[in-house]
Amino acid sequence: MTSLRIAWRNVWRNPRRSAVVVTAVAVGIAGALIAMSFNYGMVVQMIETAIGTELGHIQIHAAGYDANPELRVRMPDGGERPEEVLTRNEGVVAFARRVRGEGLVVSPDASVGVRVVGVEPKSEAAISIVADSMTSGHYLDGNRKRVIIGERLAKRLHVDVGDKIVLSVTDMRGDITGAGLRVGGIFHTPSAALDSGTLFLPLVESQHLLALDDAISEIVVVGSDRARVDDLEGSLASSLSGLEVKSWKQLQPVLDYMVTVFDQMGYIIYGAVFVAMLFGIANVLLMTIYERVREIGILMAIGMPRSRLAISIVLESLIVTLVGLAVGFAVTLAVLAALRDGIDLSSFAAGLESFGVGQRIKPVLRYSDFVVPTVVAFLTAAVASGWPAYRATRFRPAEAVRHV
Amino acid sequence: MLEFRLAWRNVWRNPRRTSLTVAATVFAVVLVVMSVGMAAGVHEKMIEDAVRYGSGHLSVTGEGYLENRTLEQFVHFDDEIEQQLRDTDGVRGYAPRVQSFALLARGNSTSGVAVFGVDPSLENSVSRFSERVRTGSFITPGGRRQIVLGQRLAAKLSAEVGDSLLLYSVAYSLETAYELFDVAGVMRLPDPNLDANLAVISLADAQDFFVYGDRVSEIAILTDEADSAADVARTLKATLRMEGPFEINTWDQIMPELVQFILLDDAGMYITVFIVVVVVGFGILNTVLMAVLERRKEFGVVLALGLRPAAVFRTVYFESVMLAGVGLVIGLAVGLPMLLYFQAHPIELTGGMTEVMELFGSEPVMTFKLKPLNPIGSTITIFALAIVAAFYPAVKASRGRPVDVLRSL
Amino acid sequence: MRDARKRRIGRKLWLWAVCAVSVALALPSAADSIDPSDSLDRLEPAPPDVDPRDVAIRAENSLRSDRTYMAAKMTIRSPRLSEPRVVEFRSWDDRPEKRSFIRIDAPAKDRGAAFLKLHPNLWSYVPRVERTLRIPPSMMLQPWMGSDFTNDDLVNESSSIDDYDHRMLGVDPGDGVAVDERAYVIEFIPHEDAPVVWGKIVAWIGVEHGTQLLQKFYDEDGEKMRTIGFAEIREVNGRWVPHHWEVTPHNKEGHSTTIEISEFRFDETFDEKIFTTRNLKQRN
Repeated sequence: MTSLRIAWRNVWRNPRRSAVVVTAVAVGIAGALIAMSFNYGMVVQMIETAIGTELGHIQIHAAGYDANPELRVRMPDGGERPEEVLTRNEGVVAFARRVRGEGLVVSPDASVGVRVVGVEPKSEAAISIVADSMTSGHYLDGNRKRVIIGERLAKRLHVDVGDKIVLSVTDMRGDITGAGLRVGGIFHTPSAALDSGTLFLPLVESQHLLALDDAISEIVVVGSDRARVDDLEGSLASSLSGLEVKSWKQLQPVLDYMVTVFDQMGYIIYGAVFVAMLFGIANVLLMTIYERVREIGILMAIGMPRSRLAISIVLESLIVTLVGLAVGFAVTLAVLAALRDGIDLSSFAAGLESFGVGQRIKPVLRYSDFVVPTVVAFLTAAVASGWPAYRATRFRPAEAVRHV
Repeated sequence: MLEFRLAWRNVWRNPRRTSLTVAATVFAVVLVVMSVGMAAGVHEKMIEDAVRYGSGHLSVTGEGYLENRTLEQFVHFDDEIEQQLRDTDGVRGYAPRVQSFALLARGNSTSGVAVFGVDPSLENSVSRFSERVRTGSFITPGGRRQIVLGQRLAAKLSAEVGDSLLLYSVAYSLETAYELFDVAGVMRLPDPNLDANLAVISLADAQDFFVYGDRVSEIAILTDEADSAADVARTLKATLRMEGPFEINTWDQIMPELVQFILLDDAGMYITVFIVVVVVGFGILNTVLMAVLERRKEFGVVLALGLRPAAVFRTVYFESVMLAGVGLVIGLAVGLPMLLYFQAHPIELTGGMTEVMELFGSEPVMTFKLKPLNPIGSTITIFALAIVAAFYPAVKASRGRPVDVLRSL
Repeated sequence: MRDARKRRIGRKLWLWAVCAVSVALALPSAADSIDPSDSLDRLEPAPPDVDPRDVAIRAENSLRSDRTYMAAKMTIRSPRLSEPRVVEFRSWDDRPEKRSFIRIDAPAKDRGAAFLKLHPNLWSYVPRVERTLRIPPSMMLQPWMGSDFTNDDLVNESSSIDDYDHRMLGVDPGDGVAVDERAYVIEFIPHEDAPVVWGKIVAWIGVEHGTQLLQKFYDEDGEKMRTIGFAEIREVNGRWVPHHWEVTPHNKEGHSTTIEISEFRFDETFDEKIFTTRNLKQRN
């Protein structure tokens, strides 16, 4: 198409000027994309930490647990029935059984109220990041009398791996029981709350301590995709009537909101970048057409339809913007590839961990992240060229030709 | 100065282009002012919400209280101390509190609780506990043996307003402390831990219960703004006359995570703003460059006629600086009043976030704040950028070789 | 040149001064922390035919029988108190059934209070408001009646035989350094799963009468946590019983708890009704 060829040639007639515009667009897009990918990376970490330490994708409890998360609201059969359903369901990748209680952990120096979680080491390791987060000692193994605690809790109690602690709880019968146990390992996760307030021990020991016989408190389920958890939740809920089935979004709606808020913020940022680019492109285009007044006059005089003229101006704008977009994307991908191991924010560790985010933030890009900038770029190009194109079509050929 | 007048005239030679450029600058300036103002406002609110939730901007306690939190660490609170606080500049409110651990029992249900003894007439000047009461009412001034529970705590004990509960602990005098309290209200606290463990009674009752005399565990102080906390702390450290050792901690010492979060957030905001400013800057630079290039012939003539390159440089330079300056001035003239307006009228938020914010006991509004240092900083930065960026076109202009230029005529 | 040398000398002197002062400061505290009675070098070797576990059981029996009645006065000293706090109480202890009952008689504010232990649970009754509550785990480590005993001590004090392994360390000559009579020195090591935080207890038990004389409690790192001394040993119904117990915690400055027993009755028969929550509210 002639308009396209004309537009293309016009763009490269003044390479330096076009380069500046392309750079501006590239910087805007790349900058926004990179910043947002790290921001989203934080949100993703927050979610993954919560899922990896506590929530899993789905949790199953006995009916009434949500209202009353007490020891006696339990699954007395040890989760046999749900286990069958889970093994048959194709959406389930892994699951683990847990006992949840509260107690007091006592060391010679201090006593701290904690949440007590009884887990089965092998299945728990498959769904929890705690197993990979040990900083000293080792994860739970066959030894019933070994517990693992977080670094912050260990510090408060002034204990280290190998030290003895006494765990004191109120069991199912309402009696106070205590057990002498030893610290088998200490972990450090991005979740400050977990590190300071939770103690893990083998499931069988917790059942014994809490006089639960074979009962368990919850089953944690992990599917293949945490974003599509609603389908899994639906299918499990229908086959597990009588039990409470909740997805991580329902268990902690705040996490889900974070994603929405983040997306909304993204629109605002792109909006600002859009307006910023608008000025630049519009200005340049205006200059272009006023530079080429004579040329435009001639073109119009020899019979080029005004519409074609307008289109070629718009196309110019589009080309410049799209080139800028492409460069921006390329730069983004290059930078993110270089920084794919994340940036180290260890000096902000305390603040980040209170939100469940680790010290290394890795950038996360979604396919949809490329859509918005493209749309924004197109819009910018279109809007920016609107006025100049209109002005160009209003030139009077006779006057234009004589312009110096 | 001749160059000045020349520059000014040149700027307005192409009104359309100049207006567009100025508009771009105005946009950038307004964006910067509003973004920084919004960040300042949101963070101030975040801090305010956090400190009103507990510690206040300042916490006056016995030595070592923050690590140990036992009855062993205390300060005395009497009329004299109160007067001293009232007389101190920058103190917006103060609340003495007794804090300890106790058992709360209703029939066979017992729960370990964190007991807060607060002065109902003073507490509201620092915290918002009374606003979180959902059923019944908060502790009333002069009321005796009233207790207010967190919602989860009340549920755990199956306690309702009007029920009589037993509070049981060890007093400072090592006696067994026990007393019956009547549930005056139930409050909903966003932090599930506190919601399940907090019981509030009056300061007078707490001092009786724990046989504490006129001792308190801490005096929480609210200052006029977060930034003045450190200054007020310094003043108080020097002027407060206390019996015995005491320490004053500021909110950032008590909640370093909050400080870090704000720093991170600010960093993110500055990066975004920087990107936008750079984009705008490119556009402006391009414009100025264009303007210079199209006047090549003019410069050539002028140089050939004997005008020093330095003078040409200065003219073009002033043009750029003026362009930036005009944009800056208009931008500030638009942005600052806008910021002040929103500072007085925060934007109401809608959507899912409102629920979440209300859950945290935070009013769902977007607040803005004008901190004088910020616009000054932004102005200086933008101006500095403009000054640096203007070099290139000005140099280009003064370099043009008259011979080449004249030949192209 | 002169000045440089002066400065060097000055610095050296300063360094020496610092060293001297540190040593001087360190010496007294070093002396403080060495308790001569802690040293085990003084001990004579133990006779080979004496079973430490038997000795431990005898010591236990010097304090309790299967059913023991006790009336006592407990004095608590603490830097917080301008004068010592004195608590008078009577206790009924049923060892085989692991239950006990304590009635507080003084001071006036606490008169009528009571504690009921039905292992592993502990109930507390408070008189003025006439309420009973069960002590949960979170409260078990709180001081009992403000003393240096915890609620947990009250509930679990009967396990020293079953929950521990016993090792004979030697015989103390009774030269007054630790105790005034010849005593077996036995180390009590808790079983791995025993719910106690002590690393070990070292006990002095009189050779002649098998009486409990001294107990030292250590944490797992070997730090001494508390000491209980037993004195005023008098004969009651064929048992040689200490009537004066002194508890000294080592992590709380200026604290001590002393129990003076005015009456001991052994091998009693108790009415079942004593060990009920109903009895808590009775005026007896």
